[in-house]
Amino acid sequence: MPLSVHGLRKSFNGRTVLEGVDFSVAAGELVAFLGANGSGKSTTLRCVMGITAPDSGSISIDGTALETLQGRDLQQVRQRMAMIFQKIHLVPRRTALDNVCAGALSRIPTVRSLSPLLFPADVQQEALDCLDRVGLADRALDRVGRLSGGQQQRVAVARALCQRADVVLADEPVSALDPHAAEQVMALLRELAHAEGLAVAAVLHQPDLALRYADRSIGLLQGSMTFDLPSTEITADHLDTLYAPDRDVSDRKSAA
Amino acid sequence: MTPQILTPAVARRSPSAQTRVALVRPKKPLRWITTAAVAAVVVGLHAVAIEGTDFKPALLVDGWKGMAAFIGDAFPPDLSWEKTIRPGLEATLVTLWIGLLGTTLSVPFALLLAALAAENTSPHRLVYQAARSVLSFFRAVPDIVFALIFVTAVGLGPFAGVLALICHNTGVMGKLWAESMEEIDSGPQEALRTAGANRIQQVANATLPMVVPQFVGLLLYRFDVNVRSSLVLGLVGAGGIGLLINQSIKSFQFDSMLTHILIVLVLIIVVDQFSAWIRRRLAA
Repeated sequence: MPLSVHGLRKSFNGRTVLEGVDFSVAAGELVAFLGANGSGKSTTLRCVMGITAPDSGSISIDGTALETLQGRDLQQVRQRMAMIFQKIHLVPRRTALDNVCAGALSRIPTVRSLSPLLFPADVQQEALDCLDRVGLADRALDRVGRLSGGQQQRVAVARALCQRADVVLADEPVSALDPHAAEQVMALLRELAHAEGLAVAAVLHQPDLALRYADRSIGLLQGSMTFDLPSTEITADHLDTLYAPDRDVSDRKSAA
Repeated sequence: MTPQILTPAVARRSPSAQTRVALVRPKKPLRWITTAAVAAVVVGLHAVAIEGTDFKPALLVDGWKGMAAFIGDAFPPDLSWEKTIRPGLEATLVTLWIGLLGTTLSVPFALLLAALAAENTSPHRLVYQAARSVLSFFRAVPDIVFALIFVTAVGLGPFAGVLALICHNTGVMGKLWAESMEEIDSGPQEALRTAGANRIQQVANATLPMVVPQFVGLLLYRFDVNVRSSLVLGLVGAGGIGLLINQSIKSFQFDSMLTHILIVLVLIIVVDQFSAWIRRRLAA
């Protein structure tokens, strides 16, 4: 299993955000995380990625438990995971190609990474191939700031590919995009899973996108998993428990 | 959304509802006393400052004749080419070169110190504090003091002025650059960190390219300031048009002084327009 997570717990200042999350993502599978704001979806991804340190729990990449590793070994295993962000996080003034090359920085000697002019030719060729896989090879030399939001997110996906990751974690990858671009990016993520055998996990705010594109969906409610089912088996009841409006109203009443 | 969900909120907002929301401000009886105390302190400080600087407008009114005579001696400006204008233009060029070199040669030092003195790019807390201290020192010592020090080493002339500007400008520009790096969106840097890039790679491929426009804008602003500073440096012997102005005052040639000042005026306007033009191009 490329990615498996057991008993993930996290609390911030005494407030429990995750209480024992278990899941796994297989190669060739797109898994969606659903849940209301504050349910712990993004924290889950950030813990897996190592941006946030979990209080306890075990994270394994291809059967290797991260907590048993340290230093360089840990970093090398971590590099097999790539992250896609809601805010895209590319450098707008640089070209799409240069941004994609940055995904390969861990393979480039530091002196040759000081300027895009020094990037090795084989890395540039690989970056161009990655851009081709997301359908943007013709925009390789355009500044990222000149591309649309959807195109920028696809460049970010290409950067993840250039990192040679086999696990891709996407934190609300389409929340900042218009509906058409969101469909395109979701279709791309599904294609990378199905056609190239990547393990893809995406936090989504739109249940309908999850149901249409993800093979499996995981529901999180206040830090606990409420379901982990193939997307075809998910019903309106399942979703209602996640986004139950009456919780919201009772909150307001007690505040008033 | 269903109507049942909306009902409570709508009822609370409607004016006909029986219970209205009241805005309760906490009472702060001490507030006006604080305001009055602050005002009294500010007024008091100014009173002391007026006393301490011998600030007496009456002296200015009484002595206006001396000023008028001084300015009268300066008119008409001396427009002789060989004696005044040509040396003035040559010295102005020297002033410009001092400002230019003082700015560009401080770039490597300012860049290094800025990267070490910005929280998001500094490798360690101790390095950060040390770099901040170095920048503060170079900023705190005025360029004119640096010039006096360098004159004792390399003698009178423009070279001492260039060295002085490099030192002072490193402090100021390093601080300004460090601050603009701290204000930049840290997202791209975080993205490269998760991709396994080391610290230097993160800075070179995310932080620095993100701040280039701000850096160039600040660089041009400092060039503008440094050209004007190099005028003053000329007064203490660091060459350039400042030196000529000083000499013409000392030899009571106020008409030459006025010509030189007019040349300086043109220089300042040209530099200002030039850097404004570049900054406009950069923003577009």
